[in-house]
Amino acid sequence: MSLCQSIDTLAMAYLDDELVAEERRELELHLLDCAACKKHVDAERADLGLVRKALVAPPAPDLLKARIARALDLEEREHARAMRRTWLQWILPGSATIAAAAAIVMFVFVRPQAATTSAGSVAQEAVRQQSRSMPMEVQGASTGPWLREHFRPVEPPRFTEPGITLIGARLTSVAGHEAALLKYVVSVGDNQFTLTAVLIDGIRDGQLSGGQAIKVGERTLHVHDANGIPAITYVDSQGMGYTFAAERLSPQELLELVVSSDLIGRAQQGR
Amino acid sequence: MLAAKEKRAEFERQALVHTDALYGAAYRLTRNARDAEDLVQDSLLRAYRFWDSFEQDSNCKAWLLRIVTNTFINEYQRKKRSREVLDAATAEQDATDGVLVQASASDRQSPERVLLERSVSDDVQRALDNLPDDFRTAVVLCDVQGLSYKEIAEIMQTPVGTVMSRLFRGRKLLAAALREFALAEGYVREEPTKHTEGDQKTIDLEAYRANRKEGQR
Repeated sequence: MSLCQSIDTLAMAYLDDELVAEERRELELHLLDCAACKKHVDAERADLGLVRKALVAPPAPDLLKARIARALDLEEREHARAMRRTWLQWILPGSATIAAAAAIVMFVFVRPQAATTSAGSVAQEAVRQQSRSMPMEVQGASTGPWLREHFRPVEPPRFTEPGITLIGARLTSVAGHEAALLKYVVSVGDNQFTLTAVLIDGIRDGQLSGGQAIKVGERTLHVHDANGIPAITYVDSQGMGYTFAAERLSPQELLELVVSSDLIGRAQQGR
Repeated sequence: MLAAKEKRAEFERQALVHTDALYGAAYRLTRNARDAEDLVQDSLLRAYRFWDSFEQDSNCKAWLLRIVTNTFINEYQRKKRSREVLDAATAEQDATDGVLVQASASDRQSPERVLLERSVSDDVQRALDNLPDDFRTAVVLCDVQGLSYKEIAEIMQTPVGTVMSRLFRGRKLLAAALREFALAEGYVREEPTKHTEGDQKTIDLEAYRANRKEGQR
């Protein structure tokens, strides 16, 4: 069949670079011989150039980009609020301790401005430890015994909710104190994130204070902002300091988690 | 809240880099800066909500353009129609309610808005106004965004052949309109189109390929 008959189709596909190599070669050879088709392709090329040039659009205004960023922020906040409701749904049913923890959660709320209060240097350093991707020295179920053998005779904090798993630990030091970093994985739906607890030995009164002090029973938790990462500190009667941090949580969400750990119950029994 | 920071960072890296391109498409689809901004914002928000369903190794820009196109077709067009009805009703109200005419007219037409609308209603937008939606969409996706026939076919959910004929006719109409405007305003001295308009022409690459194969036997 003649290429001339299909020149409309061919010219278009040719100029849009949609012909396969062989078809293109065939057409290009034909254009060398056929003045009419050559003229047609040139005219089409001119039309296409006119259209494409006319259609060049302005870039998005900066104000629009700012508006989009703000809309995404709102969307994120809305999503976080929905997730928080999920947390509470977990905590509410269950054993007596969980119910007790839930009762505490109901009355303990972080003031919004608390997040702007900077953490002290020891807490800051403890939180920095969590973002360093160092290998764990022990993993999984043997973490508890390992901790007692290599660090101090303490139990790793446990969370009674499903989906919060201790995955490992390593020794470290924080501001000259011996310390152990425990890593937990928290799963909510399809999402997973890391929660770390840094246990710091030999903490004196006030060394982990600061931020917003929150009384839970007889114990005082401190809610800090460590360079944008919410952190909660607590010192037990033996001078063992605990720093909890989770990059993906709001201070309130982290507080809810910490309060629901067995740490609080243990601390109250330990008196 | 959980993977929120990661999700946001990933979205910014893969999707928000196309904001200018999306705006370009939206601007030509809606022919109006204000509507284009709303369309882009709606579409990106929607994309963010459905980010989990985006297949990571596919073409993100094409995926986003599909959302822009669908949002435009489904929501914007409907909104626009209802707004036109509303505007007509308001105009009627104004006409019958003499006292309020002045106030409400100035409400709706701030000087900035008038200026904005005037500046974007250029020849190109006027030419695009006269195209059927399907033609305009095909032309915008190909000639503003540089998508392939196949990608456009997927977005518009039509066969490649349909895309080609919409594109062909859309371009013809557009080129003719642009020349007309240019001629009217004295940008060009004479009309260089000698080839006939494409309404009766058949654009069919598949038929060509089938015939060609046949011929080779």
